[in-house]
Amino acid sequence: MELEKDILPLADWLFPSLRGPGALVIFAAVVAALSVVSLFGAYLRMAIRLGPGEGFYAVAKSLATVFGSDLPHASWRRIWAVTRLAIQEALRSRVLIAFAVFAVVLLFAGWFLDTASDHPARLYLSFILTATQLMILVLAILLSTFSLPADIKSKTIHTVVTKPVRPGEIVLGRVLGVVAVNTVILALMGVVSYLFVVRGLDHRHEIAADDLERIGGGGWEGATSLNAHHRHQVTLDASGIGRTDYIMDHDHEVHLVDASGRQTFVVGPPQGALVARMPRYGKLRFVDRAGKEGGGISVGKEWAYRKYIEGGSLAAAVWTFPKVTPAAFPDGLPLEMNISVFRTYKGDIVSGIRGRITVKHPRTGLSSEPIPFTAREFMLYRHDVPRKLKAVSADGTLKDVDLFENLVDEEGNVEVWIQCSEPSQYFGMAQADVYLRGGNAPFALNFGKAYAGLWFQMIIATCFGVTLSTFLSGPVALFATGATLVVGLFRDFIISVATGEQVGGGPVESFVRIITQMNQTIELDMGKIVEWIIKGMDAVLMAFMWLFASVFPDYRALDTSRFVAYGFNIDGNLLAQHALIALAYFVVLCLYGNFYLKSREIAA
Amino acid sequence: MDTPVAGARATPHEGGRTAGVDSDVVIETRNLSKTYRDFWGRQKVQALKALDLEIRRGEIFGLLGPNGSGKTTTIKLILGLLFPSSGRALVFDKDATDVGKNERIGYLPEESYLYKFLNAEETLDFYGRLFDMPASVRRQRVDELIEQVGLKRARRRQLKEYSKGMTRRIGLAQALINDPELIVLDEPTTGLDPIGTRQMKDMILKLRDQGKTVLMCSHLLADVQDVCDRIAILYQGELKELGRVDRLLTVRDVTQIQARGLSDQAQREVRQAIERLGGQVVSMANPTTTLEDLFLKIVQEGESHPGRRAREGE
Repeated sequence: MELEKDILPLADWLFPSLRGPGALVIFAAVVAALSVVSLFGAYLRMAIRLGPGEGFYAVAKSLATVFGSDLPHASWRRIWAVTRLAIQEALRSRVLIAFAVFAVVLLFAGWFLDTASDHPARLYLSFILTATQLMILVLAILLSTFSLPADIKSKTIHTVVTKPVRPGEIVLGRVLGVVAVNTVILALMGVVSYLFVVRGLDHRHEIAADDLERIGGGGWEGATSLNAHHRHQVTLDASGIGRTDYIMDHDHEVHLVDASGRQTFVVGPPQGALVARMPRYGKLRFVDRAGKEGGGISVGKEWAYRKYIEGGSLAAAVWTFPKVTPAAFPDGLPLEMNISVFRTYKGDIVSGIRGRITVKHPRTGLSSEPIPFTAREFMLYRHDVPRKLKAVSADGTLKDVDLFENLVDEEGNVEVWIQCSEPSQYFGMAQADVYLRGGNAPFALNFGKAYAGLWFQMIIATCFGVTLSTFLSGPVALFATGATLVVGLFRDFIISVATGEQVGGGPVESFVRIITQMNQTIELDMGKIVEWIIKGMDAVLMAFMWLFASVFPDYRALDTSRFVAYGFNIDGNLLAQHALIALAYFVVLCLYGNFYLKSREIAA
Repeated sequence: MDTPVAGARATPHEGGRTAGVDSDVVIETRNLSKTYRDFWGRQKVQALKALDLEIRRGEIFGLLGPNGSGKTTTIKLILGLLFPSSGRALVFDKDATDVGKNERIGYLPEESYLYKFLNAEETLDFYGRLFDMPASVRRQRVDELIEQVGLKRARRRQLKEYSKGMTRRIGLAQALINDPELIVLDEPTTGLDPIGTRQMKDMILKLRDQGKTVLMCSHLLADVQDVCDRIAILYQGELKELGRVDRLLTVRDVTQIQARGLSDQAQREVRQAIERLGGQVVSMANPTTTLEDLFLKIVQEGESHPGRRAREGE
């Protein structure tokens, strides 16, 4: 699985460190900037209405009441009253029908999911998590954007705001109510989709006694029956115990049952399909073809995530893994690799490209005998480096070494070198492509973490919906909240347009190019003045695009479903970061909603 | 003249004076004006023009006027549902936009705008929570009020099943949940049948007897005449008339003489005396007018002389 950004420990992410200013500082800066802009906007609005002096007084008074009187006098009983009301409203408008729709979608989804895929679990999980994400976000937006405007339109809010309830309590109560309803629905969706995935992937194979042949040494060999679009090869030892081969991301246990002279082979449930690997990542550096330190090369792919090394040369990708101790890895290094292959000639397409792994001491340079492997695209390759290895000593002879004693340094660091053995073929790698597998986390827990990620996204969408609906009518608020979602989902692209990274200019220039059927890369050539106008408008639009895209939530980054689909444990640090991001949006948006609702003439 | 918002910055000294001398004033509006504007800020309609009012503790005050005269606008300004374009509304000496004042106010809107998906109990419980009332107090208060407005048999029915009269009654109950000192009623009798109207009026009088202040607006003159102590008549956003109902309805340029035991001779002499003093005997008819007559007269005058107070120097 690709990991474009390192997952930082929570403290490093939050506080200033070598890696950057830290989220807390960025948050404070954004809040400060927003406060200045908002205060100025509020002042401008009041100044137009009341005049410059009185406008200032009105803004100052509003701030003083919110922080001096409204916040200290906020009451949980009132907030809970509004929350309860929002829940009752949602339930009595039969919002649970949305869940029923979800269940129906799942019932029929089984027909269309390609169970013959090489990675059925990935397919099931990404489908189910994407479906849940879309449904819960749409539901959150619908519920949140219409609840307050409906109240204002039907004037029921008149009887509410004439009670001693603060605008902030109404906003917070509404947010909590919608969140509560959606939480229940999300939890139901989670349970149903967990069962759907587990049951959908469950299958059994059968082995008739005739299907297996005896092999030398007393074991058996053969193939299972064809179930769920695949069959496994089986090898059993003399005692009648063995495993199938590992295809479609799983294998089965097989054992022989000898009941009153009749031999039957029993195949267990699929194993390994639903896992949550806990990878231990190392640091990646490259060595170039001459054997010197340097960067990997680009093979011309647009996505610069992976760097490539040339085969048949000294070029290597070197991972340094920290904290490698016998306690953590008693049986040696469980190495997992997902290596991309770039071929300059077709070669043998079936068996893949050969490469080799070498384990090296970071300082003495003592290295193990190269371990050969074959890399196939999109296939995870697993290799357990044993504790007892052969190493090449200075005089060129092989000697026996112990992994932890001879190859790991005092601080627990060890280097793993990966090289491509075939000349003119290339291996592409990024830091997250090779890791040590540090055991598995429970899959159900990981699935729950992905749902927690969805929960955070739902909270953010709800906060946007409620806050925007404090000053926009229902449909407009719906549209605006939808826009934040779209911006959030395509944030990287919008930022790249806004910063001019994308060729073809900003929105106006692109539009002109589209309607005049002009290629993106050629000069605009429409006269100085026209060009100046187009670029000027673009500059303003792009500044706004950058601003909105930077402030709006990055739903794609908050989406952790990839981890679950690819079978990786969601790091607790990542989850905590997402929780804090959601909390930040929650606080800021509720505060904004409070001010908007306060400054609004409810009866107008 | 004082600029309206400058009034909003009353010094503590001024505030103290108001509270000290007229602590009985519950609602005070100073030069209160409201102009509705369209999206572009263009003036659409001037709903209320420089209204000065004082409503005192313990009285039933009626705002009277035809549709669109600014009654509801005034009430919404007093409740802080609208913000004044200029001038100021004070309730219990606090600005109308201050949330704190709501602790002592009960409001029954024009059509009981309540949550239709709640039942009577849930409705009152919800509004009780908004007053931060503990559960035990709430339960007791809800029972009392349901009993008081006579909805005992319908307490668990959703409000969407309620008739107009029942909706009105639950609306009144929610306005009374906090045992308010000031009750603001917007068209309290609209849509009620004669019995319902009578009950509502009795209820209002009863509230006054409990020492509460009532501000109501209505275009139903008979209701106002029956219950209000003082009224203000609004027309096209202007205050046309203000005073005690009994005084307003006295026809002052007519003197009624009622006597017993006068002989025909004596009566002739009285008539002659009146004529000698420049008077003219009109009739022996009923000396008071009805509010309806007064109202129609004011409306007619308002149309022929916009901007003029009906009876200056009242």
